[in-house]
Amino acid sequence: MNQIWIIAKLEMRRAFFSKRALWVYLLALFPAVIFIGHGISVKMQRDEYAGKAVVPAAVLDRMPVGMADTEVLAAAGKPLMDRSWERRDVKRRTLMYFDGSRRVWFEFENGALRDSRWRVLSSMEEDRKIYAGMFQYFYLRLAVFFGCLGIFINLFRGEMIDKSLHFWFLAPVRREVLLLGKYCAGLIASAVIFGSGAVLSFVALLAYQTSADLQAYWQTEALYHGTWYMISAMLGCVGYGSVFLAAGLLLRNPIIPALVMLLWESINGFLPELLQKLSVLHYLQSICPVPPPMDPNVPPLLRLVLAPVAPTSAWVAILGVLGVTALVLYVASRAVRRLEINYGTE
Amino acid sequence: MSDDLILFHNVSKFYGDVLGVNKVDLRIPSGITSLVGPNGSGKTTLMNLMSGLVHPGSGSITVRGVSPFAPEKLMRILGYATQYDAAPRGVTGFGFVVAGLLLYGYPKAEAERRAALAIETVSLTHAAQRKIAAYSKGMRQRIRLAQAIAHEPAVLVLDEPLNGLDPLVRAETIALFRNYAAQGRHVILSSHVLQEVDVFSDQVILIANGMIVAEGEIRNVRDEIHEHPSQFLLHCQNPSRVAAMLFEQADVTEVKIAPEGRGVLVMTRHREAFAAAVQRIALSGQEIDGVMPMDENVDALYEYLIGGGK
Repeated sequence: MNQIWIIAKLEMRRAFFSKRALWVYLLALFPAVIFIGHGISVKMQRDEYAGKAVVPAAVLDRMPVGMADTEVLAAAGKPLMDRSWERRDVKRRTLMYFDGSRRVWFEFENGALRDSRWRVLSSMEEDRKIYAGMFQYFYLRLAVFFGCLGIFINLFRGEMIDKSLHFWFLAPVRREVLLLGKYCAGLIASAVIFGSGAVLSFVALLAYQTSADLQAYWQTEALYHGTWYMISAMLGCVGYGSVFLAAGLLLRNPIIPALVMLLWESINGFLPELLQKLSVLHYLQSICPVPPPMDPNVPPLLRLVLAPVAPTSAWVAILGVLGVTALVLYVASRAVRRLEINYGTE
Repeated sequence: MSDDLILFHNVSKFYGDVLGVNKVDLRIPSGITSLVGPNGSGKTTLMNLMSGLVHPGSGSITVRGVSPFAPEKLMRILGYATQYDAAPRGVTGFGFVVAGLLLYGYPKAEAERRAALAIETVSLTHAAQRKIAAYSKGMRQRIRLAQAIAHEPAVLVLDEPLNGLDPLVRAETIALFRNYAAQGRHVILSSHVLQEVDVFSDQVILIANGMIVAEGEIRNVRDEIHEHPSQFLLHCQNPSRVAAMLFEQADVTEVKIAPEGRGVLVMTRHREAFAAAVQRIALSGQEIDGVMPMDENVDALYEYLIGGGK
């Protein structure tokens, strides 16, 4: 254990601070940046509408299609925006009102109400779904995936390219111990980076919510959701890390295993149930606390790709990821015993 | 005792279709052993095999009784200064040696003490805190040597260790090898500077095209080469007369007056008979100042056994 920790300590500096790690940080922080940007935009809109005239929602909700624009003006009063134009002999007009939380645009053709569009300034429920979608479709599938690719592939393959792997092989350390030490270094680095990225983006999501929404969420599910998002990101590092560590030992070109793995994870929904259990993403999706938004018009085949058919329970999912990881690390330990220093062929 | 030897038994190693070494049998005793051979002859492969960096396709190797497949045991008794120039990125010379020692399980303070000592031994203390990336070739050579000796191994393996060293450091390094060998340790090195190898090696292994051409003490190896007559230079006062007397010996194949005119160059197929003849000539009143073997060196062995490929 002592040797594993010494190797991990020596390797961690490189995993955290190398130039190669820069894009890993960018991937991990991208969602947080997006949600911080969105939060700033929401706050600016709130400030913009803070002093505007508010029309009660009950009034705005009672405008039937076909109603004359003059009647709408009489019922709701002066709009925040009034725009008229003519096109192909059709007179068009748009009136915009604000009910305190939503904006509504009434669209008129030749003076009769044709359509109305509603848009809330911000909705926590909607934001949470967007976050869930971002987390599953971008963070787990791409950010954690490619971040782990960058960190773990370099642990062996990068050293082969740098011609410095012999330094480790000349230490009085069993190759399996070296493998575990390097894996721990990559795991600690990736788990800290992507776990923090998940927490940071979740905090960014909460930061711009109204105090009432925030309080309600905090008293019910916020801590639970935040914790599970962080755990699933870290478990992603556990699973993908082992796969890419093994790939770095077994294959010279990291692009090939990355593409194969990406394909495997993508088609997982089509596979028989037993094979689905050999996917890291299957388990990660199973422990995500909020299902991602799914448009009802999404074709069934694409639906299979985007969400697991039969999610596994949380604890089984955790054990599943650990099981897949143990299996992959065992294969990697066999490979590292046979690995030779032959920089000439790299 | 095989625990005091490095043993290769019928070892072959191929890199795909390319031959590394073929059917190598070696018994290497302690002392300084030089691997000599042209580029690509298999010297580095032999060193990598004994240190476990590559594995034999067939055959077996033990280093003082330890298999190269057990690095956790082997590396406690073996230090290897490879030819690979790279070190982990961003690390200082001192940090590089300390990192290696930490893996041996030394406490940090002890690792730092040993690292400082090893770096001092290779005369690199002044640059210990500089990053290896900023080191010259010779300094990198020395820091690798420092790391190899820092844990005081019983077997020191060095790939071209004298490359890039200035004369003073070169002399100090050779003294270090001698000191190691005098303590009953193995010092295995490869070098293409044949004259130096000749001076400090206890035994040589000549290798060409992945095959061992000869091994043993230089003198013994020379004796094994019957097709090439031995060469001697006799320093004497009257070269013409001595040359005439030597011509009468049946075992002498060629006699030449040395270019400076102060001696005779002799080629003979029978060393003992030649020695007896020299004694007789001296007793007859001719003044013989000295007899010097001219081909009991690695250079000559290399030329005889491998050819002019150096």
